[in-house]
Amino acid sequence: MIRMLPVFNLLVLLATAVLIPVFSKRVFTKIKQISTVAMIFATVSSVISLAYVVQIEGYSIVFGGYTSAIGIELTIDAFSALFAVFISALAFLIIVYSFADITHEIDEDQYGSYYTLVFILLFAMMGMTYTNDLFNMYVFMEILSLTSCAIISIKRKKANYLAALRYLVLNTIGSLSVLMGIALIYMVSGHLNMGQISLIIRDIWQLYPGNIVVALGFILTGLSIKAAVFPLHVWLPDAHSNAPTPSSALLSSIVVKVYVIATIKLLFKVVGADIVTSLQIPPVITIVAALGMIMGSIFAIGQKDIKRMLAYSSVAQIGYIFLGIGLMSEQGLSAALFHVISHGFMKSALFLSAGAIIYYKNRRNIKLFDGLGYQMPVTMIIFSFAALGMVGIPGFSGFMSKFYLLVAILEAGVPFYLGVILVSSYLNAVYYLPIIISAFLKEDKEGVRTMKVEKLPKSMLVPLIIIGVVIVSIGFYPQLIMQFIELAVATLIN
Amino acid sequence: MDDLIVKTITRLIVPFIQLYGIYIVLHGHLSPGGGFSGGAILGASMILFTLSFGLEEAKKKVPHRISMLVETGGILWYIGVGMIGFISVGVLWGNKIAGFDLGEPGRLLSAGMIPLLTLAIGAKVASTMITLFHTVIEEDE
Amino acid sequence: MELLTSILDHINYIGAAALFVIGLYTVLTHSNLLKRIIGINIMETSIFLFFVSIGYVSQGQSPIIQLSETTAIYVNPVPSALILTGIVVAVSITAYALSLIIKLYKAYDTLDYFEIMEKSQEVSSND
Repeated sequence: MIRMLPVFNLLVLLATAVLIPVFSKRVFTKIKQISTVAMIFATVSSVISLAYVVQIEGYSIVFGGYTSAIGIELTIDAFSALFAVFISALAFLIIVYSFADITHEIDEDQYGSYYTLVFILLFAMMGMTYTNDLFNMYVFMEILSLTSCAIISIKRKKANYLAALRYLVLNTIGSLSVLMGIALIYMVSGHLNMGQISLIIRDIWQLYPGNIVVALGFILTGLSIKAAVFPLHVWLPDAHSNAPTPSSALLSSIVVKVYVIATIKLLFKVVGADIVTSLQIPPVITIVAALGMIMGSIFAIGQKDIKRMLAYSSVAQIGYIFLGIGLMSEQGLSAALFHVISHGFMKSALFLSAGAIIYYKNRRNIKLFDGLGYQMPVTMIIFSFAALGMVGIPGFSGFMSKFYLLVAILEAGVPFYLGVILVSSYLNAVYYLPIIISAFLKEDKEGVRTMKVEKLPKSMLVPLIIIGVVIVSIGFYPQLIMQFIELAVATLIN
Repeated sequence: MDDLIVKTITRLIVPFIQLYGIYIVLHGHLSPGGGFSGGAILGASMILFTLSFGLEEAKKKVPHRISMLVETGGILWYIGVGMIGFISVGVLWGNKIAGFDLGEPGRLLSAGMIPLLTLAIGAKVASTMITLFHTVIEEDE
Repeated sequence: MELLTSILDHINYIGAAALFVIGLYTVLTHSNLLKRIIGINIMETSIFLFFVSIGYVSQGQSPIIQLSETTAIYVNPVPSALILTGIVVAVSITAYALSLIIKLYKAYDTLDYFEIMEKSQEVSSND
């Protein structure tokens, strides 16, 4: 029974998404109760299945009782169980935050539709983490792209429609490239199952090297458009800054990471590290990632709107993750996975506290943030924790991920990237530190100097405080997460 | 549109189009077609009705509440058929393993759970196409 | 002559590649929003053509079991089943994109991408 828990996870999320329009009928409390129950079930079952996999063994489920060569397979091993826990825990906190915030952002007759879309989004993300079948991954990718465009355009403003249309067109080009790559691999191998392809990839590589090269090119380009790697990131600032706050937190901290996980699965499980290295792909990935780290920060320096600045900062951080992947070693991959988790928590803390500032004070411009530390102390403290973590101050989780990345770079023997990481950290400090300084050390126009806890709704404050505690505790005890990551990397590189 | 010839011909033809759509959905396990294409034909028949008679008449035939219930019912039916296999044997969406009667190939009542799933898909696709069309046309008024 | 027979044998794949490039060119260069959606549809059609022509087995029949013959060569039915799902995905993306274009037309009163960018820039620079 415990072995079937991930499948029940998926089915419960899908059933909740479909039941919300029937039961709610514009009563918001019913939507809140159904969503909370579903998310508690999802988080608890992911934690139980992670504990099972770590203690006993990884396993796979095939639907319909067929063998894995002709059926659709889900693998539950340390890698997918760890990321399922990450997705469901972070999404639970963001959904609880959104119960209070969503009333200010969208119209009242759309609350039910919004939560339906969020649950279908979660169903697609969990499916994409667990699946072991190439075409199944494509179908989940399409569901994910449609619903993530829909939670941007649910706010009825002109800028949202344009941002959602641009996101949709670019995402569709990416998905079609991935489908072309899948067609090229199916043409020469005859299997769609990732395990079966990895068994015969050596013989295919001898007979038809052209197909593998072109297929890898198409798939990597398509997934890079969706994960916002540097030259192909142009949809990201408009889409993440105009969306309602819970949507931008969900998109920027979880959805972008799921495409990175798909890239890791394809590069390491299907094709294998030695074929990819012999094709000279890793230098391309590392150079593009290094460019992204620098250019993303340079674009972020000149922004005035806080959400747009955070969106450009995401582009820079995705560069760090791809640099870790491009090193093609165990330490590099562990550093990249650690940064996926720690950046997810830090970026959602930043977006949620920016949303709280917009909810309470209705200000988006950075230059008007003077003295906010006294009027909203809890929010600005969490914002400072996350911002200092992004810069890389010791004691917060961002420092540990940069440390692991530096160890991996020195181990791989390319010290040029060490300089790139240092320059990029300085550039991060240039745009994060002025906000913290002006919030706590300057006076605002009324000259208020007494600190009082702000009157935000509890369902907005409690997730912020929980995420802040997680950031600090991962910063001081990274072994809590690193032990699972080492088990996960062992299943990918062996 | 308010043309007499279009209305008369539509009133004569829509039952035959729906019969053809139901035929394709029911024979999904025997001949090409299945849920998606049959559902699209059923949806297309209601789109023809909307275009020739106007939005008000079409909303009386297929109100919003019914299409929402059909969509929810479709997905819950699909999950329920999967759970039948799980409760009896332990395998989700099992066909022969779970005890569905397979019958002889080529007859209408055969192939276990495949016609049940095809019915759910056909109903859901038809209601989706109708909902999409009504929503897009409504913005225009 | 050798080249001509090999081109005619693989005409499906060459056609699919040509349609993909034509569709990509349309999306990237035309400024009218509706033409971009048509370009995406052309790209999707090219991929469906490519996928279905992979499954062809030479001298195979259509994959419906005849009860009289027991040994026969059938065409691979798996790509056709996958492409049915792909067509449904393409239809839903087109429907969603068209409804977004209707809303944009009502808001900005033009369908040209560059004019919409200009009008949104002057609104946002007035903040």
